[in-house]
Amino acid sequence: MSAMTLAASLRITLLATLALAAMPWLLSDFALSLTLSCLMYTGLAVSWAMFCGATNYLSLATSAFFGLGAYVTAWAFGDLPYLAIVLLGGACAALFAALVGAAVLHLRGAYFAVITFGLGELVRHAITYYEKSVHHTVGRVVSDPPAAETVYLAVLAIAALAVCTALLVRHSRFGLALRGIGADEGRAETLGVNARLAKASAFALSAFFAGALGAAMAVRWTYIDPPAVFNPFIGFQTVLIAMVGGAQTIIGPIVSAIVFSLLTEFLRLRFPYMFLIILGAMLIVLVLYLPGGFASLIERARQRRRKANA
Amino acid sequence: MPDPVLLAAQKVTVRFGGLVAVDGVDFEVSPGELVGVIGPNGAGKTTFFHTLSGVLAPTSGRICVAGDDLTGKAAHVYAAQGVARTFQTPRVFKEMSAEENIRFGLEFAGRTRRHDHDAFEDAPAILDILGLAPMARLPAGGLTPARQRLLEIGMALGARPRVLLLDEVAAGLTHAELDDCAQLIRRLRDELGIAVIWIEHAVRVLMNYVERVAVLHQGRKIADGDSRVVAKDPAVIEAYLGEEVAA
Repeated sequence: MSAMTLAASLRITLLATLALAAMPWLLSDFALSLTLSCLMYTGLAVSWAMFCGATNYLSLATSAFFGLGAYVTAWAFGDLPYLAIVLLGGACAALFAALVGAAVLHLRGAYFAVITFGLGELVRHAITYYEKSVHHTVGRVVSDPPAAETVYLAVLAIAALAVCTALLVRHSRFGLALRGIGADEGRAETLGVNARLAKASAFALSAFFAGALGAAMAVRWTYIDPPAVFNPFIGFQTVLIAMVGGAQTIIGPIVSAIVFSLLTEFLRLRFPYMFLIILGAMLIVLVLYLPGGFASLIERARQRRRKANA
Repeated sequence: MPDPVLLAAQKVTVRFGGLVAVDGVDFEVSPGELVGVIGPNGAGKTTFFHTLSGVLAPTSGRICVAGDDLTGKAAHVYAAQGVARTFQTPRVFKEMSAEENIRFGLEFAGRTRRHDHDAFEDAPAILDILGLAPMARLPAGGLTPARQRLLEIGMALGARPRVLLLDEVAAGLTHAELDDCAQLIRRLRDELGIAVIWIEHAVRVLMNYVERVAVLHQGRKIADGDSRVVAKDPAVIEAYLGEEVAA
């Protein structure tokens, strides 16, 4: 996709979105729910890579943002229209990310990863405590959830928006600033980049999508409680999808999200007791032999062709 | 009203724990000046540079750019005010092409600043001044160390600076390269009107090209003035054990 112009990439995204929007009327319930899972992970992985891929940060905060969004649904469902809740979920996650980001984005590497992982636990326990002591409850029931098509279209819209945003960021000065920060933050600052502002904004922007997806998906659970929505697996899965696909690219995480979702489902059905073991083994092989992700294979092939031509 | 002093350090002190790296240094640069900063190893030259470019906030003292007190502000504020620098070990964006490296400065600090000179107009023009035009498309990480040094100057020029801070740009260059580099720095000042502060360990070269030189020794400024006068200063000769400056 790096070779493609911005306009062409946006056009393809739009066409794919329109085609996918017809799926609720074409696919079986099972296939639709599988597509929904692909779209959710596309949105999560692309928005994660938007910040982490460019800046070389490793954030495990996705489950915190996702769970926060889900809890916005738990609290506001029935009082506000579904669409408003989805946007509110995204906004809450973004605000939270901006505040936290301002405080911890000076950390890097393992420190940042550990802090963001702890963030998920912190939010989970804070919400559990709040629910118990104020509302005397541990979980909430979502009664009268929206139709499956509505949820599907909402998640599709968020995923499409995430891809378009990632494309626009990539082709903007903002994206250049993030890449500069990823390459050498101190150097980028001495050339005029306000690194703190850029990092906090990008972190918040990527959190918006995770929060909105959490809010949109939460209605499918009917019963929402902290252990279910603050599932660290969602955060790990997002990171792995983006890294396996190639976090420096946009197409990488998209393809990887689809492959992963389908593969997980296939393995889960075929080998219900073994699927996590198989998945884990495949990941280890990938990380060992293809650290740049699948997108790096394309880049390698391109370089080989260039060399052959020269 | 434009301030006659472009960049001023007032009683700048930097402490790392118990170590005083820079000790109450006063230093001023006027527009278009070409000043050298020399000193033996560990004299605090680079640390002093870090404070001048906002990379490091001084423990005490003030840094003013064109009369505005920027003490404690982030490095990007200094860049936006026209202070650009290079680093002792070249810090180019290795994955980006040479041209993209220069465009980076133009897109950020250089964007809000204007220069009347064509040489600053765009990345190809800057690559041309540096003689790097043939390598425009190559990834910066693949360039020779000498060219990476030049490219770093180009990145700083992209920021359209009023004052350029060069940290040991001549280190590791051959004699011929070193002469070219010094000529280039001279040209930047003469043709583009940029003030240049140039740190160098190779004192002999530096003395040939600058009009004024400041000497740091154990964190203190022990001399500051016409380079021919400073070269004969007994305190300076003693600091260097008489070896290099005497020539």
